[in-house]
Formats: sequence, structure tokens, C-alpha cells
Amino acid sequence: MITAGWYPVFLKEMLHFKRRLLKLGYLFSAMVVPIIYLIAFGFGLGRSVRIDGSDYLSFLLPGLVAMSSMNNSYTWVANTLNINRLYFKTFQVFVQAPISPASIMTGEVLAGMTKGIFASSLIIIVGFLSSSDFSITLLFLIALLLNCFLFANLGVIIGMRAKSHEDTATYSNFLIMPMAFFSGTFFPVDKLPVLFKAVIYILPLTHTSILIRKTHMDVEGIFSLCVLIVYTIVFFIYGSKLIREYSE
Amino acid sequence: MIQINSLSKMYGNVRAVDNITLSINKGEVFGLLGPNGAGKTTTMRMLTALSRPDSGTGMINGFDVAENSFEIKKHIGVVPQENNLDRELTAYENLLIYGMLHRVHDKERKIGETLRMVDLWDRRDSIVSGFSGGMQRRLLLARALLPEPTVLFLDEPSIGLDPQIRRQLWDIIRKTRIEGRTVVITTHYIEEAEALCDRVGILARGRLIALDAPASLKNSVGDYIVEHIDAVGKLIQHICKSRDEAHEIAKRESNSVTIRKSNLEDVFIQLTGERIE
Repeated sequence: MITAGWYPVFLKEMLHFKRRLLKLGYLFSAMVVPIIYLIAFGFGLGRSVRIDGSDYLSFLLPGLVAMSSMNNSYTWVANTLNINRLYFKTFQVFVQAPISPASIMTGEVLAGMTKGIFASSLIIIVGFLSSSDFSITLLFLIALLLNCFLFANLGVIIGMRAKSHEDTATYSNFLIMPMAFFSGTFFPVDKLPVLFKAVIYILPLTHTSILIRKTHMDVEGIFSLCVLIVYTIVFFIYGSKLIREYSE
Repeated sequence: MIQINSLSKMYGNVRAVDNITLSINKGEVFGLLGPNGAGKTTTMRMLTALSRPDSGTGMINGFDVAENSFEIKKHIGVVPQENNLDRELTAYENLLIYGMLHRVHDKERKIGETLRMVDLWDRRDSIVSGFSGGMQRRLLLARALLPEPTVLFLDEPSIGLDPQIRRQLWDIIRKTRIEGRTVVITTHYIEEAEALCDRVGILARGRLIALDAPASLKNSVGDYIVEHIDAVGKLIQHICKSRDEAHEIAKRESNSVTIRKSNLEDVFIQLTGERIE
């Protein structure tokens, strides 16, 4: 049962987030990777590439927003939860409070989502400054919010399952890194070999990359939206289960 | 009221808690005393819904710790052995978050009262990482008391503190003993158990080996201890039922002797042949 119990969990993370925001280095670290990709692929390599008749920068920018929202939502939750559970033991304060596992899950996920939206906003600003063709549609916003929510859920799962902080890096290397490069951020997925494409279509970021570039809803967009919703529900239920079954 | 029946917990092949049965009365200050690895913290974790028992039951105020942990969490306050304050937040923010988690009404006033009780009101807006060990233990205690729990669990509350700060903390713990509140303390400090507890359960290798009031436990062993060093430098102890008996033994010894009152360490040595601290 989700109650207002999620709010103190969320508030705690936001107090941390506020303090980190005041440190200039943090702001740059949230932007540095997508900006490097933007410069290298968008302004460098991208000047000589066109995709579906449009310039490469217009294709790349929504993909970078999707990738950045994934990275930031996931990393914040996975790292924070893992460290708080294994080293600082502050997660145990939530477990010993009279709030439901779903409330803990919701608070953690909304905190991760907030960070993902913040980091994405920085890329969106850069997008508006660097490309006159860049625009935001309703589908773009839906895809962005859903992506942040989905990967924050995955962050809880990894944060709960990882047996050490190094373990979270291993999960990132096998889950997040391949998605960042192959799920439609830098090039259309349909250009990939058939067998490889089948694997890539299983990954959630692929469907975010499809949905975020849609100007209007079509069958492909509806399918991708459904895939993202199913992933989100499954991740949320599984994450809540891990919290409910937590025992030292 | 806490009722523990045949409670057991294994970690791999190690039996951390082995078939413990005891009851703790409402309003009592109860101590679980034993060396490191005796099973004190594991017992406390099971009673505070952080760890599931392998077998047996633990009931707090009529609720089973395994089946009704949500209800139990409404009644308990916990000071863990490991400091789990949020070190990047202020003292006030730590209590605010905890108050929200436990649905404390009139939070502003109660946070003020508890911070004043532990003498940290003036440091309410300071980041916790800058606090001394003693201040952090006091803040942990304040946090646990904020929801006004009917059962307070203190896991090694004064571990790592110097003797003077430890005594200050004991004074605060004594103040928390309000009408009807049950306090459960785990400790490996003999002095702490004797200073604070109405009754003590002594644990060794996961088993409960003695249970009574500190005075009764000491009396069961003998009220006085005569100690001297023998010719090869070994500490020899004689347990005596009375002061007269102690003086008689002291007179017979040619070496210099010490006569002192017995303590819970002597009880532990008598029962296990090992020392606690």
C-alpha cells in the first residue's frame, strides 16, 4: 500500500541533491558525458552525416536526452541505495520505520527520477542553443518521464541486489553501457544486423529512443510505449519485493 | 511486554542465536550481556524487524516480529550499534526525516524537546559529520525517542565512548525511563549492565546461560572476590559468600591480596571460564 511514507524517503534524497547542486563540480559532472558525445558525434563526425534526410544533430539530441536520463536516474538510485544499505546503514532506518516497501520504493524512484529530469534538462537547454530544428513534443515528454521512472526502478533493483559497491559498476557495464551505445542513441536501430537487432529490441532504452523521436503517435510508438510501461511495472513490483524481503 | 520463545538464527554454519527463550516485563530495563559474537545484536535485529528468525517467535506488545513487523515498528525505537545517522544532513534534518517516517505529530515541538534533552539544541543546524562520537550517540538516542516508543532498543549504546562521556550518556538513558517504557540494552560493558539494568540475560555463543537481577546473579556466585598473584604470576581468585570469609582467606595468603565486591564479569567467568571484555 503506497502511503505518504514515500515523502520522507524522497525528501532525504532531495536534501542531499540540493547540497550537491551547490557544488559547481557536480553540475558539470552531470553534463560532461553527453556534452562530449554532442561535440564528438554531433559537431564533429555529424557534420558529414544525414539520417532520413535530416542533419545528424537533430537525430542525436533526443537520443542524448534519453541516454542522459537513463544514466542519471539509474546511477543515482543504484549507487546511493547500495552505499546506504551496505556502508552507511541509513537504508535500515527506512526498513525499521512503519512504512510499506512500496513507499520506500516510490520515494527512492522519484528521487532518481528528479535527478534524471534535471540532467536531461541541461541537455535540452544545450539542444535548443545548438540546433534550430530541436523541439519538444508531448511524446518526447512522456518518453522522458517514463524513461527516468523506469531506470530509477532498475536502480533500486541493482542497489538492493549488488553485494558491494564494485558490483554496481559490473551491472552498469553489462546493462547500461551496451544500451547507451546500441539502443538508438547514436544511430537508428534498424541499421543493425537482423539477429543483433532482435536483442537490441528487448532493451528498454531502444523503445525510449523510438518514442522520444516521434512527432505523432503510430503503431510503432504505441508498441514502444507499451513495452516501457510493462518494464516499469515489472521493475517496480520486483524492486518492492526485494525491499519487503530484506533481512540481515 | 516482550516474549521470546525458542528464537534461533543461523549465518551459514554459525548458530548466531540458539534457542533463546525469555520474557521482558513492561517498564523494565533489561540487559543482554555477553562478549562480541554472543548473539546480542542478532537477537536485537530480529526483535526490531531487521532480520528474520530461522525458527522460534518474538512477540512485542502482542505482535509477532515475523508476521506483524509493520505494527511492531509503530511501537519501537532503535539505537543501532553502528551509527546510521545521515552524516551529510543536519541534526534537525535527521530528526525531521525520522519524525516523518514515524508519523510524529507536532514535530517541531518534539524535535526541540528531544534535542534539548540530549543537549544538542544549539547544534541543530550543524552537519552531523562534524559531531564528536559522543554527540552522534546522543543524537541517535534523541532520534529513537522522537516517536515516543513504548519499547526502546539500545544496541551497545556507549560503544567506543570514553568513560566520562559514557556516564553522561547513562544519565540520559536513565531519563528516558518513563512510566511503562520497556528498555532493552545490549552491552559487553559490565559496568553499563550493572548501572542501568533491572535484570540481565547473559549470552554466550548464542545461548542464554543466565537470567536474573544483577545483584541476584552476583549473589549466586558469591558477594566478594579475593585476588592475588601467585609465584608464577598467575591471577588467582577466590569467591566468597561473605566479607568475613574473604578476610579469612586473605589472612592465609602470604602475598598481597585484593578484596573486592563481585561483578557480572565474575558471574560470566564462573559460568563459561572466559572473560566478557
